[in-house]
Amino acid sequence: MNIGFYIIIFQHTNMIGEEGGWKQYEFFVFLATTWFINSIVQTFFMPNAQEFSELIRTGNLDFALLKPIDTQFLISFQKMDWASLSNFVMAVALLVYSLINLTSQPENPLTLHWSMFLLYPFFIFCGVMIMYSIMVALASTSIWLGRNQTLYNCWFYITNFSRYPMEIYQRGWGWALWGAFTFVIPVLVVVNIPARIMAQPLRPVGHQWYWPFIALAATLISVLSSRFVFKKALGAYRSASS
Amino acid sequence: MLVKYGCRLLPPAGEQSIIFPMSIIQIKDLVKTYRVYQKKEGLAASLKGLVKREYKDVNAVAGIDLEVEQGEFVAFLGPNGAGKTTTLKLLSGVIHPTSGSAQVMGYTPWKRDNRYRRRFALVMGQKNQLWWDLPAQESFRLHQQIYRIPPQQFDETLAEISDLLDITRLLKQPVRELSLGERMKMELTAALLHSPDVLFLDEPTIGLDVVAQHNIQQFLKFYQERRKITILLTSHYMKDVAALCKRVVIIAQGQIQYDGSLEGIVDQTTSHKLVSLLLDENEIRTEEFSKYGTVESIELPRVVLRVAREDVAKTLNAILDNHTIHDVTVEDPPLEEVIAEMFSKVDPSIQRATDEDIAASADHAGTESDA
Repeated sequence: MNIGFYIIIFQHTNMIGEEGGWKQYEFFVFLATTWFINSIVQTFFMPNAQEFSELIRTGNLDFALLKPIDTQFLISFQKMDWASLSNFVMAVALLVYSLINLTSQPENPLTLHWSMFLLYPFFIFCGVMIMYSIMVALASTSIWLGRNQTLYNCWFYITNFSRYPMEIYQRGWGWALWGAFTFVIPVLVVVNIPARIMAQPLRPVGHQWYWPFIALAATLISVLSSRFVFKKALGAYRSASS
Repeated sequence: MLVKYGCRLLPPAGEQSIIFPMSIIQIKDLVKTYRVYQKKEGLAASLKGLVKREYKDVNAVAGIDLEVEQGEFVAFLGPNGAGKTTTLKLLSGVIHPTSGSAQVMGYTPWKRDNRYRRRFALVMGQKNQLWWDLPAQESFRLHQQIYRIPPQQFDETLAEISDLLDITRLLKQPVRELSLGERMKMELTAALLHSPDVLFLDEPTIGLDVVAQHNIQQFLKFYQERRKITILLTSHYMKDVAALCKRVVIIAQGQIQYDGSLEGIVDQTTSHKLVSLLLDENEIRTEEFSKYGTVESIELPRVVLRVAREDVAKTLNAILDNHTIHDVTVEDPPLEEVIAEMFSKVDPSIQRATDEDIAASADHAGTESDA
């Protein structure tokens, strides 16, 4: 488990980022959020994205296109990988454990507000939608490329950036990465926003109030543009010979 | 026989410009061109392909015009790669055309309107859409939900079709454990559950044994006549075509080469008939028969001659006058042969197969039974 790795890191330093950064248990909330989102994506969307690429290569996408139902919906929800949901349970455990520690710490104890329990799942949902959109857009490229074997690698490289607090990138040339992965491919808002809502709600440093709105806008734009890419790709579908 | 496609079916909103009544399928100058990467052999060529690629344009469909009336059963014939399947894929909206237009029941297929997709079906003999590991019944249920078929209608249709195809006992078996023929019947059932008005069949009997082929033919014939649905069929088996379709469209090199009745092809293409004679035992002067026509085969006591159409009567008279004959049959050459002749006429690159080849392939088709 990479949780051990982070415990070691927090023996070197006690905070990631400056003022209002992530201490150990706050970071564990962040980690739990990552697990939530990854487990949902892996349960519902990952097997389908891989299948999609295969459908294109074999020409079996034909049948999906014949059905009087939204093709993207049909493709996206064909299969579920229930085993991946086990990480979801782990995430719940880690979140509860971290929240207990955060609320009972002597210095600046965290006070929970009911709104956090509404906003947290909502922004997790937004994060999942962003991840899903990226996945759909990536998978759609296999229509043009014929076969996209590196799909999984591409996906991994891009989403890797979402696994750390955005403060990490806010140094030197890291700002360029920060900008790209916040505003171009918004993977940084995926975990950061819900995690921040849960772990650091009462420490508005700078102008943090606008982040949820950026996350919302990013979700909307991602979903719409991935749908655009998907439709565009279907127009170019050639259907394998038979 | 034709039922006019008229006021019962209204055009979809936004496409009112179409004037009814009209043909159920209208194709105008349909073109589909594929750009195909030409890869040369070897590593050097592969590396070069990363920088500069050579493409070739392949005209799969090169300008097709066709009108089909409601209730027709039309066969598409043509050599491999002639554009038959591509045409069916275009009409089902699976792929977009390069240019041209098509209307099926007033819809443009590649717009993939749900209302259109609820009213047609495509069956491909070489691909299967049923879940491989699940019983067909489960796939049918999914179809019911996707096509929003009312439960009662679903039960009735399924019972009717599975009874006609004699597959009721197989519905609970995983699809992977069915034979090819049984699977094809399941595929057909799946396609007909939502009672489509138009059905596209792409080689539905490919690889099936004679009995399974015959069953499927019988079923299609019966079902089409009762429901008056419109069917486009592609097949390489002339028996399918002869049994089912009054109208035959021959496609080669992406264009329509012939559109008419099956008998018409024979009349148009071949100029001779086959005269088969059963000789008397004492009749041993077989070498003399070559003067009446081309000798196709001599397997005593049977001799087969190829005689020009207009000379058949005259020749028969002469033979009967000079020889002792027990039996005579006059036939058109086998349909396979006629079609092969037709293909080679429109495309000289296709070598006309010899009779032996055809006989061998016919045998092969007969023995190629399912697992």
